[in-house]
Amino acid sequence: MKDLFNLRAVLVSGKGGVGRSSVTAGLAMAAAREGKRVLIAEIGEPDEDLAALGRLFGRKTLPADPVPLARNVDGVMLWSRKGHERFLRMVLPVAAVVRAALRSKALRRLLDAAPSLNELGVFYHMLTLVREELSAGKPRWDLMIIDLPATGHALGMATLPDRILQIAPTGPIARTMKEGKEFFFNADTSAMVVVTLPETLPVTECLELIEGVQDTELPVAGVIVNKVVGDDFTEEERLAIDPMVREHDVFGATRFLGIGMVAESLGRLQTEAGLPVWRIPEVPLDGASLLYGMADAILEEDA
Amino acid sequence: MTEVPIPELVLNRDIIVVCGAGGVGKTTTSTALALAGAREGKRVLALTVDPSKRLAQTLGVDRNLKRPVSIPEERLEQAGIKPPGSLDAWMLDPKIVSDRLVRKLARSDEEIEHLMQNRIYQGISRMVAGMQEYMAMEALFEFHQADTYDLVILDTPPSRNALAFLEGPQRMARFLDGRIFRLFAPSGDGESGIFRRAAGRVIDTINRTVFGEETYNDLQDFFGSFAGILQTLNSNAGDMIERLSSPEDVAFLLVTSPTDASVSDAHFFRQRTREMSLPFAGFILNRSQALAAGRSYPTADLLGDAPSIAALSGLEKLKTLAEVERAEMRRDANLLATLADEAGRSSFALATPTVPGGANDLPSLIRISDALWDAPRYTK
Repeated sequence: MKDLFNLRAVLVSGKGGVGRSSVTAGLAMAAAREGKRVLIAEIGEPDEDLAALGRLFGRKTLPADPVPLARNVDGVMLWSRKGHERFLRMVLPVAAVVRAALRSKALRRLLDAAPSLNELGVFYHMLTLVREELSAGKPRWDLMIIDLPATGHALGMATLPDRILQIAPTGPIARTMKEGKEFFFNADTSAMVVVTLPETLPVTECLELIEGVQDTELPVAGVIVNKVVGDDFTEEERLAIDPMVREHDVFGATRFLGIGMVAESLGRLQTEAGLPVWRIPEVPLDGASLLYGMADAILEEDA
Repeated sequence: MTEVPIPELVLNRDIIVVCGAGGVGKTTTSTALALAGAREGKRVLALTVDPSKRLAQTLGVDRNLKRPVSIPEERLEQAGIKPPGSLDAWMLDPKIVSDRLVRKLARSDEEIEHLMQNRIYQGISRMVAGMQEYMAMEALFEFHQADTYDLVILDTPPSRNALAFLEGPQRMARFLDGRIFRLFAPSGDGESGIFRRAAGRVIDTINRTVFGEETYNDLQDFFGSFAGILQTLNSNAGDMIERLSSPEDVAFLLVTSPTDASVSDAHFFRQRTREMSLPFAGFILNRSQALAAGRSYPTADLLGDAPSIAALSGLEKLKTLAEVERAEMRRDANLLATLADEAGRSSFALATPTVPGGANDLPSLIRISDALWDAPRYTK
């Protein structure tokens, strides 16, 4: 997994409930421990009450301008309006015209209300952040990790540039999308990872997602299997307690009986995904200790 | 309010709308409800927008067809059931519904042709907010009216939060605000006064610069020819919400997963349905351990007389797993109690168990459907 830390951007995707936000935070903590300056991002509104990433670091909300969350880890809310504002400043030549555009309620409403234009704002905000520099040639953050939303449109970010290019094939929007593609659709600088759980259905959906993303040229670096139940039973132990577990409805039975499914899921991913498969064991912690636990687990996986 | 709420809904309602954020198991729950209806002799249609390939495979139907298809009887028989009713499914593509509407509402063939060629129209569900939700409602009523089904179950379009479906028409209305249309009206058109004409020219310049010449022309064209149709859709949207407000015919369900976010989701959803006078029926806490309270903790006496050394060391390892599951059970039971408080007396909260392996084939869908059917309403 450490190879991910040599990229400039990692897009973390996966269905709801697989622990995408904690994996994002865990990756950031692990990369920071390896000496990287990291920016983590989620998508939403800056005053939104349910900033999942913010909450993992004990914050209620995340602002649209980066704030420090931990040593070498900053966090930001990618906000369409911030992106639009920056986009207008870039394309419009005169400050007075920019002000007029920002004052136009109609234009603002269109940018907010059209889903594709809204996503364009988020995308541009993200692009301006990865380009921020401390000094010429030295980026402000070595690595940006983005927690993509679970919209159900799993392919969202992967298909965004092409969807927008279909609507706007020429002009400044198209140019921006092409620049963004050069950065995010380039395996030297950026990649997506897919987070999943070691269960049949999530694995099927993960494989479906990978297949879809690979059609779009967005590089996929690997699969992260989260919450892998530790299987430290010896064969003898397993056989010895199996009848008891099946006969009595005891706590622990779901996981014990699911261990076989974990192995099967991992096997399926290994043969069918054609990508590196990384594991993060189930970390029965929450709050700050969860983040440290995740980071430990991520760094150990490579060892 | 009955103690086992799902049968009452499936047997007595015409429409069940299943809402929920992405990833909570909304599609699975909808399909399980539809199966339950067919097993009770109903002619059921399961409507779902943009579902995964997997569900289509499980049911043995294609995606994005032009109309609903029946789930083959052999397939159901193979899975061990022979429902007296019928089960149709339509995994609809909002664009197909939209095209059909355009053909119905356009003033001329030229207008239809013109719109179909427009790039903005081609990406309409990603350009006009609330379009997917609107199209899902449109399809729902189309089938409800045709009287070919006793029960239509709508699996609402995928979205980040559970409210998206309820807010669809409102978002569409906001989009249709006259301002956006004026933004793309030919410059100075209909405006009087030097100031307004000058302002119009500034906006025109901004638009041309921001969108580029070609896209700007497409936008103007789109708003020009689609304006009338959109206005019709907008006034329909209000009627549709109105028609969803009959508690005798319609039930809204919210599916949530056992996470912290589910509680606030549930609260906002309950509040919003109340404000809109929509018949909210209940919460389904999906894939939870809330019902595991009857389980026992693994102890040595369960291993029988003279357990082996391997059994005892295995038991110690099992206890670690048991701790995790017991904590989950407590968390989920608390969540369920909170949801029940939120539901109050007029609606219900119930929990469905985790099905090992998930809903990846028809037999497991049937198991989930059984579990839903029998699920008791939570009471303290």
